[in-house]
Amino acid sequence: MIDFSSVADNFNVIYPELALLIGAFAVLLLGTVKRFAGLCTSVAGLTALIALWLAVDQFGTQQSGFFGMVTCDAFGSAFKIIFIAIAIVTMLIAHRFMIVKQIARPEFYALVLISTFGMIVMANTTDMIVMFLGLEIMSVPLYVLAGFARRSLQSNEAGIKYFVMGAFASAFLLMGIAFVFGASATTDLRRIVADFSYIIYHSGLYMYVGIALILVGFGFKIGMVPFHAWVPDVYQGAPTPVTAFFSAGPKAAGFAVLLRLFMFGFEGVAELSSIFWVLAVLTMTAGNVLALLQDNIKRMLAYSSIAHAGYILIAFAVGGEDALSAAIFYSIAYAIFNLGAFAVVVLLETRSGCRSDFSELAGLSKASPYLCAVLALFVFALTGFPPTIGFFGKFYLFSTAVKAGFIWLAVIGVLNSFVSVYYYLRVLKVSYFDRVEQPALSVSYTPAITLVLLITAAGTLGFGLFPQKLLEFAQSAVFAFL
Amino acid sequence: MLEVDGGIVFWILSFVILVSGFMVVSLKNVFHCALALVLCLFTVAGLYILLDAEFLAAAQVLIYVGSVAILLIFEVMLTSKLADKRITQSNDQALVGFFICTLFAVAAYLLIKFNTIWYPLAKSALPSDNILTIGKYLMTEFMLPFEVVSILLVAALIGAIALARTEKS
Repeated sequence: MIDFSSVADNFNVIYPELALLIGAFAVLLLGTVKRFAGLCTSVAGLTALIALWLAVDQFGTQQSGFFGMVTCDAFGSAFKIIFIAIAIVTMLIAHRFMIVKQIARPEFYALVLISTFGMIVMANTTDMIVMFLGLEIMSVPLYVLAGFARRSLQSNEAGIKYFVMGAFASAFLLMGIAFVFGASATTDLRRIVADFSYIIYHSGLYMYVGIALILVGFGFKIGMVPFHAWVPDVYQGAPTPVTAFFSAGPKAAGFAVLLRLFMFGFEGVAELSSIFWVLAVLTMTAGNVLALLQDNIKRMLAYSSIAHAGYILIAFAVGGEDALSAAIFYSIAYAIFNLGAFAVVVLLETRSGCRSDFSELAGLSKASPYLCAVLALFVFALTGFPPTIGFFGKFYLFSTAVKAGFIWLAVIGVLNSFVSVYYYLRVLKVSYFDRVEQPALSVSYTPAITLVLLITAAGTLGFGLFPQKLLEFAQSAVFAFL
Repeated sequence: MLEVDGGIVFWILSFVILVSGFMVVSLKNVFHCALALVLCLFTVAGLYILLDAEFLAAAQVLIYVGSVAILLIFEVMLTSKLADKRITQSNDQALVGFFICTLFAVAAYLLIKFNTIWYPLAKSALPSDNILTIGKYLMTEFMLPFEVVSILLVAALIGAIALARTEKS
């Protein structure tokens, strides 16, 4: 007989997830009644806030449930907080934009919530089947969100492109999981770690093939070179709030799973370090060099997100607890200032007829000086100038690399940051110094987006000056990494 | 009960799989390709039966033959430009592709041949009630993944409706 007495304990572990799901379905139900359709945003935001509160409440505990399929450890619960926070910020950014572009529909919020649910499922397990399911639950809403502006050809293209390529990547991932299962007879990482040398000795070849295919599958999601080709088109074509979500949420989720897989599950494969060395160098260099050529801000930010993924990949090459906490820290930092930068882009795009080209920035410093100053702050953070959080994140990442003896990797990282100065500062050059024939259109703030700008700016500057709290958070997320 | 030599059945099934697989990628009529795909997937189910994996065979027939292939046929029939149209499935790269694929096939064969220790499959090794075992696993250890799949289906449904429904202006 199965013992049902501990059912409640199991559900304790997934309270935040349940809150998100209930929120998603409540939004869908409300959306069917015309009179309540306006409430959808607030309901979605409210349930996400409740989920955030539950996740914060969970943080620091070590729980496992559902026959070991859900592992809510410090690492997982830290990422729960990150994902839900990103979802809330996305919804705040999106509200006005969707109305202006006439694509405001309740499904948007439901899909964001379900996608966030998928990310949490993905990051809170050691079982590869559950990871895959989480990845799909995250991705399916994203395919739809990318094509959410149905009348825009670019958005349609983004949706289809992301769907076809994403499905292809999922096939690689599944094949990889099948190979690893074939070699080790289990899908649970904890059991793979326990028998690692035995598995490698008896069926090492299949294990290596499987690990390589898994790397391809998740490498696609984080935009790792050479699986990055979809990033610029999808980032440019998708509605801008969705792009903001793309660059923060799924990316962090992809890294969370990659960290669990490659710094815990397959840590025993010594060759991985040099593979990640090459991948990190390729990813950051390709991202930065291609970003130099862009004339569209969203496209530039897409390539920059590839470059930042490259910086985080350094941590995989280095390995060890310090590198892990540096990667977590950088993921959070990147999410904060990148969401901020995208909030500015969203605000600019709500002006009529704007397509986020660089030239549209001209005269912005005169038309809306405060917004321009905030934009400058985010650009400095993206570049990695002190005293922003971007500087500290990079410093922490590169210094762990140097400490572990990866001096060349750190040097290449720093050189890449210098390259990035050129295209990031171009944003400021255009907005502050370019001449304009007619004054730039002024932007209209809403409370939601002002709040987002304030929070992200405060985070960028505040954690840059006093990184201690965030650092402790990242380090405690490592502590019980099982 | 009729005793059949598994070896002969295996060769027949493999032959049908290979021929129908080749037909899928070489026939000129898309509709015929889809039919050949049904045959191919169906014979793969036969291979699973040969391996005593009845559940997998049933799933193969239900999912691949029953829904994926039928969906494909519907798509072909409902797309007016596709049905009855003759298309060539190969281009100038066919020869290069052939060589690369042959290379991969040979490499895979050699790797499998020299890297795998083959154990003869004992008839008694598999429990005769393996479907029962699968069912038990689905309700215990794999209950959460099983339930989570339903969320995935809901998400796909919502997404499909969000993209496809007509807009009232």
